[in-house]
Amino acid sequence: MAKRKTAKRAGKAGSAVRKSARAALSVATSARRTVKQRVAAMAEAPLAVVESDKDLQAMLGVLRNRDEPIKVRLAALQSLGAAAFSVIAFESCRGDYLATLRQVADDPDPELRQRVLGILMREKDGFAQKKLLDGLKNPAKALVPPAKALQLLSYDVHAEAYAAARAILAKPPNDDARREALRLLAADATAAPLFEKLLRDKKELREIRQIAASALHALNPEKLQQRAREIILDKSDYDDIKATSLMALATFGDDEALGKDKALLNSVSRFGAGKAPAKYKQGARRFLRKFGR
Amino acid sequence: MRPAATANAQSEPQFAALVDALTADPGRRGQLTDLLREDHPIYDQRGAATVVRMRGWVLLALARAGVSDAALIFVLEELDTGIDAYLVAAAARALRSYAHPDENLAPFVMRALTNIRYRDEPLCFEHYGDYAVSSTGTSPVRELLMTLAWLGPHARGVLPELEALRAERGGLARKYRIDIDRALHAIRGADQVDEPAAGSCCGPPTGLGNMVSRPSDSRGGVQSIAAAVFEDHGGDRIAFQEFFRGQPSIVVFFYTRCDNPLKCSLTVTKLARIQNLLDAQGLADRIHTAAISYDPAYDLPERLRVYGRDRGVVMNAHHRMLRAIDGMGALCAHFGLGVNFIESLVNRHRIEAYILDAEGRVAVSFERVHWDEGEVVGRAVEVLKEKVTFEMPP
Repeated sequence: MAKRKTAKRAGKAGSAVRKSARAALSVATSARRTVKQRVAAMAEAPLAVVESDKDLQAMLGVLRNRDEPIKVRLAALQSLGAAAFSVIAFESCRGDYLATLRQVADDPDPELRQRVLGILMREKDGFAQKKLLDGLKNPAKALVPPAKALQLLSYDVHAEAYAAARAILAKPPNDDARREALRLLAADATAAPLFEKLLRDKKELREIRQIAASALHALNPEKLQQRAREIILDKSDYDDIKATSLMALATFGDDEALGKDKALLNSVSRFGAGKAPAKYKQGARRFLRKFGR
Repeated sequence: MRPAATANAQSEPQFAALVDALTADPGRRGQLTDLLREDHPIYDQRGAATVVRMRGWVLLALARAGVSDAALIFVLEELDTGIDAYLVAAAARALRSYAHPDENLAPFVMRALTNIRYRDEPLCFEHYGDYAVSSTGTSPVRELLMTLAWLGPHARGVLPELEALRAERGGLARKYRIDIDRALHAIRGADQVDEPAAGSCCGPPTGLGNMVSRPSDSRGGVQSIAAAVFEDHGGDRIAFQEFFRGQPSIVVFFYTRCDNPLKCSLTVTKLARIQNLLDAQGLADRIHTAAISYDPAYDLPERLRVYGRDRGVVMNAHHRMLRAIDGMGALCAHFGLGVNFIESLVNRHRIEAYILDAEGRVAVSFERVHWDEGEVVGRAVEVLKEKVTFEMPP
């Protein structure tokens, strides 16, 4: 009896939530309401989208319509994204949703384009992948800046993006694009020598050297251990790079060998007692404690 | 010799034109099947999405020209293990052009429906490489339901599953009601076929060619691979002849970056089950097992170890996860692997398992559709019983 009452109450509550979601959707899709009202209503609309095909189409219509205020369209995209999170409930909407995303992938609004391409690339969508690669090869066709295109392509390790990343690296249009090209190549098993070279280059941007250290750990961890040791022994290298190297040794190194490496331990000792920022010195002390120093 | 296409320098439009020409020429249609081999040079250095477009176009060509017995395995493979909407839909459409529908095909279609239903998407089959920007066209779910309707009473074995799917809330989208009802109606329709024989529902059709057994005197040699060196999950190095000579071995291929859970992840999980079966029969020391990576530059020992461990694989001196130190060349040649690459990364591969005899020669191969662990072990035991004629290494 108690169970039946609970189920009844839950049913009523569910029905009330659905009603509220439908009311929100009606506000969200109404051109008579203010942008602020519509954007606020969009946040409550995802449930209505998966409950009714008519409501889904209304929401997709807002997203597609270039005459709608961009804030409302972006809110519609977010609402649809929230609905899509319920994979099973959203299954019947998926086809229309993906088709609409492809339609707006070349929208005049750059933020909408970028977000839509991001969603499609997380789905490993071949359409989006082709558009992004075309844009990298021919900047006149680019839907997003090269750095963003590379970042989105990196969502799919099987995208044919390594060649494009290397081309960007050879002639980077800006620092952002160069950085993203390197991040993408961090999954390219043949790129270890490139990252080794970047990590050793003291003239290189420190952020790039950090990326190189991380990539080298993924592609050739032994090589990173060697280079990290060299960096710590090098009195002229930068504190933050030394700290990264120390962390790599402490976390992934061979404790037995490290404990016997007097030159290394002395260098870490000097680093910990030197003028490096406190957080780096703390790392050095932790390292030394591990080996009884 | 590969007469249909010889260079990966062909552009996609050129490839599409080639496929269309082969389709139009009854004398050369057989070459379409050749274009479905993963190791065909035409797929070398193409991205995975490009390979999907190309293979999809070949499957659609088969749908127009008719699927031959030789091409059937490629179609069923896609239904069995495919997770790409375009390829699954194209395979479903192609199957409807096969001249001999029977009850063994239905489980493949039903399995594909179960696998793809949450990855459904609108598709456009009109022109090469088209992507749908409206949902008015076809989709993998629609194509699969049409194929079940085409099978009609031959699909009676999957009727309960399909009925359950229709009844289940959120089972299939409302827009497919008409398609699913049409399929159900066709399956329940006139009594055109005999009841399927018990136990015949789930295996591949006989004569499919997914399992090839080679008599001892027709097996190739091991000269090209004998000296190949592997590194195992623990970082130890071992030559092919050290590990694979002296006893039979069961070998599967995989790579840790494979994003199809129905391929590499399942293959390695099934290898663990094979090890359990061997252990239960007291054969764990007499038959070796190995999982070899297609991606040796990336699959370092630590990755191999974690991947195997997470799937229950036993790893020791007789059972190893391996990567080839000198690349894939010798392995591809020895096993005839169904794989292709863009740079060092796999762009497409089939599922494949092998039984090597005590000399390291390929005695049995299981390709494309999922193999049964018990059958693999049974075949390995047969190979174990073969008389060993070579001299054991010291």
